[in-house]
Amino acid sequence: MYCLCDEQIDFILNDLREHGIHTESLQMNLLDHICILIEQGLEEGGDFREFYTATIPSFYKQELRELEEETHFLLRSKGALALLSRSQFFLLLFTLFIGPFIAYDMLVFFISPEAGKMAHTLTAWSASLVFSLFPLLILVVLLLTPARFDPLIPRRAKILLGIDPLIRILPASDL
Amino acid sequence: MTYSSELIKGTLKTIVLKLLADNKKMYGYEITQRVKELTLDKIQITEGALYPTLHALEADGLVTTEVEYIGKRVRKYYSLSPAGKVKTKEKVKELANFMETMISLLDIKPKTA
Repeated sequence: MYCLCDEQIDFILNDLREHGIHTESLQMNLLDHICILIEQGLEEGGDFREFYTATIPSFYKQELRELEEETHFLLRSKGALALLSRSQFFLLLFTLFIGPFIAYDMLVFFISPEAGKMAHTLTAWSASLVFSLFPLLILVVLLLTPARFDPLIPRRAKILLGIDPLIRILPASDL
Repeated sequence: MTYSSELIKGTLKTIVLKLLADNKKMYGYEITQRVKELTLDKIQITEGALYPTLHALEADGLVTTEVEYIGKRVRKYYSLSPAGKVKTKEKVKELANFMETMISLLDIKPKTA
């Protein structure tokens, strides 16, 4: 069985940090796991660097920082009620803005007396159309804003709906 | 044959909780090896899936941890909290029900010798 020296353990730890693993507890877990793999897989007198370089890619798909990001994502998702894409979130906002007006319009349509029903309904629907233009305009502006000018909800971001906090934006880099 | 990560992802918490229920306390590497051993290599839990899940379980208060110093490095042992023991029973029951539903939905006939 290969025996790791302190310098090699420091090397692994520094490499984990350099590749985006900053959570101390995750560093501890990974360091121990990697050490066991090396101790069990590398023969006495074997090339530590070569074995380490060959072993570490099995931990991730593209980059080691994925583990850190996945950990943060799971911790942030705690107590979440729904995870929405950017467009789903905008659709929800639009529905919330305009939903009460639509409900009012339907109510007007059904409770208006037969005489003048059309006039009442048209008045209500025209008002709704005017009110809906404002959120619709905001939506169009947001959707057409280039990514670099959109720091609030970046493209490819996900929106986590929960209780505390109510809304949390997860940038694409956190996913 | 090893199962796809998509299939395993949804059951990982249940697998980890059940293993901890059966083994009192375990560390990460031990969990991956135990799963390989019990499933004859059909399920291989990746480090990329296991450690974030363990951290989430810890944050949820379902597992407790204790550390052991091995020279310059630290080994973190996980064990079930009282809430974790209750949750394990729920999760195993839920998964068993789900499997029954899938067998019925996909019309899978049990293998006969």
